[in-house]
Amino acid sequence: MKLVHYVNQFFAGMGGEDSAGTGPELRDGAVGPGRKLAGLLGDEHEIVATAICGDDYAASHPDFAAELVAQARERGAEMIIAGPAFTSGRYGMACARIAAAASEAGLPALAAMHPENPGLGEAAGTAVVESGQTARQMKDSLERLAAGTLKLAAGEQLTAQDGRIGPVARANRMAQHSAAERAVALLLTRLGGDRDATEIPLPDFDSVTPAAPIADAAEAVFALVTEGGFVPAGNPDRLESARASKWVRHSLDGLDSAEVGEFESVHGGFSTQWANADPNRILPLDVAREMEREGAIGRLYGEYLGTTGNGTTVADARRFGMEWAAELRQAGIQAVILTAT
Amino acid sequence: MQAEAGLTRVVHAVRELDLGERTSYDVGRLTVGEDSVRDLLRDPALAEVRLACASPGDSVRIVGVLDAVQPCSKGPGGGGVFPGLLGPALPVGRGETHVLRGAAVLAAGYLPRAQEAVVDMSGPAAPLSPLAATHNLVIEWTPAESADWADVDAALRRGLVRVAAHLAEAALEAEPDAVEQLAEPGGAASDGKPRVGVVLNLQTQGRFKDVFVYGRSLSGGLPTTIAPAELDDGAVVSGQYGHPALKNPTYLQQTHPVVAALRARSDELELAALVLCPEPVDQANKELVSAHAARLCAGLGLDAAIVTKEGGGNADADVSLKLDRLEEEGVTAVGILAEMAGRDGTGPPLVVPPAKATAIVSTGNYDERMTLPAVQRALGRERVALLDQPSTDELELPVAVIYCAQSTLGWGRLTCAETA
Repeated sequence: MKLVHYVNQFFAGMGGEDSAGTGPELRDGAVGPGRKLAGLLGDEHEIVATAICGDDYAASHPDFAAELVAQARERGAEMIIAGPAFTSGRYGMACARIAAAASEAGLPALAAMHPENPGLGEAAGTAVVESGQTARQMKDSLERLAAGTLKLAAGEQLTAQDGRIGPVARANRMAQHSAAERAVALLLTRLGGDRDATEIPLPDFDSVTPAAPIADAAEAVFALVTEGGFVPAGNPDRLESARASKWVRHSLDGLDSAEVGEFESVHGGFSTQWANADPNRILPLDVAREMEREGAIGRLYGEYLGTTGNGTTVADARRFGMEWAAELRQAGIQAVILTAT
Repeated sequence: MQAEAGLTRVVHAVRELDLGERTSYDVGRLTVGEDSVRDLLRDPALAEVRLACASPGDSVRIVGVLDAVQPCSKGPGGGGVFPGLLGPALPVGRGETHVLRGAAVLAAGYLPRAQEAVVDMSGPAAPLSPLAATHNLVIEWTPAESADWADVDAALRRGLVRVAAHLAEAALEAEPDAVEQLAEPGGAASDGKPRVGVVLNLQTQGRFKDVFVYGRSLSGGLPTTIAPAELDDGAVVSGQYGHPALKNPTYLQQTHPVVAALRARSDELELAALVLCPEPVDQANKELVSAHAARLCAGLGLDAAIVTKEGGGNADADVSLKLDRLEEEGVTAVGILAEMAGRDGTGPPLVVPPAKATAIVSTGNYDERMTLPAVQRALGRERVALLDQPSTDELELPVAVIYCAQSTLGWGRLTCAETA
């Protein structure tokens, strides 16, 4: 079978964070960890090309995945594999997106990353196998990825025994009894001594370690971001008031303040009356400019990024966060003020 | 003499609904007197009201549903139902209450902050909504030209309960279909049966997102306890129009499914208390209210409690914190929650899960899409703003907009499970 393998700029040998903005490309044959992987896959399978993209580029341009999958198909790829991404969040997200895009295009696909990689949720049901935490576990991780690849190539499904990780899709269905009746039944079961019965297994949440304080605010570039449904008046991007599927960015250049008539909030989760009487209440542009003039902060970044945080799924919120982080890192930001509502 | 505790519910079934000259109830047939209902809805904030009927099985879609109310009355003029709004703000839940089971009065149309809310009276979405199973008097309106939206909202809320009481008044003298005795929780010995409470979180997020208890918001307050039968008499009235699938309209408070399910198993347990809690918007107050509610439940001698919520992900915290605090107090806790797992159902199902407690019933994934077929007639709103399509079209919508489909008061049978 002809395979295309995805790695990020680092594992392609192009450099670290300084090269994270590199755009997508395809190179002939196996590259980096792909060489070892090719050996593990044996003679019946060939890595015909390696797909590569910088982590920041991938995080801020979700289209990279479909683009690379299309190019891989042109090279005759019959299956796409990605990683291992270990615990690297942007790389994991890129691997998950490549695998998901391949599945959507009808190709079998497999990614590898650590179970705590925040990109795991992006796989949208496509198979992911476990890897170690860091590249020190490269050998074991590649062996598991290779074993999974061989099994998938043989047309079999992967299970937890193969190291498959990631969310299994849950689907709606009608129960025999109402939720109220089931709650009473569950309560009696619990009182009867069963301490485990439940209908929703609790999700594990990753916890984020806050970044260290910036050394000198007067030297730092600040960005304003918000989940307050903050948009230019008239909401030209049609940002949703609830269950947002996207985020928006708009220029703040030449603006001293978020004036009525120029900006508004379309958030559906609170009364926007006071926000719209003074949009600076959602995006504190007036105070930020004042601090910029006083020299209390180095400089304010020329755009804000925003979405609506109302009924947003954790998966979408996590994706927005990773995309924002990649964007802002690329833009050379040192500090971000996120106003929540 | 001490008043007799408990409520007698006198049930009149509604099997047919139409509009006519005079309001009457006759052996299951409810006729709505158009002129008298218009009089009850008259308000400076409303320029015009329109009345329509929608019954189960009709090819009708109601869009922009706000609140829905079950007709009930304790006597002429309502006799005290909907205290603080229609009746005087005095405790209810005792004596006799006539209810028109199988009927509802609902308002449908535009209000700011009111999210899409759809009831299909037939088709695949009908089994998901309690209001697709009732004969509905649907009230549409045109606001007065300079009316403040808050006044429009208040006029509709007052109007709905007036109309609900007026319709039930027509059955005060009718032969009932059933007479149900609802005991009041009290000091009676419980024969060793577990004492179970219901913890009812009420949304308190200000205008168009608030719930009224005896006519007032619980915002800023601490948990309190009322008798379950006070719900039957309309002590809790909804003014909350966000998150349509998770909405708990007045109708579901009056017929509270968890309370009903607990009453139905009175041979195995004792319905011992109903605890009402505000849902504060900030973490510190969520912690305070949750800890206080758990202590209140422990103080009431509860062995177990079922916790419900109203609203989206923010309100997950109000349930999760209470489940944790209740378990710490030695009260076995079960939560009812909707999942918000993304369109494909692979995302984390809860926004704020409990840290320790684990017993949760699922009312289904909010984000899953379903296709609603085209219908002959639409009420409430002509277009579905979310899709910018005519309301009568075939629509692909998330379950999140199907009115009450995932209400954690537990009416529905929708749930979610891992696919094979």
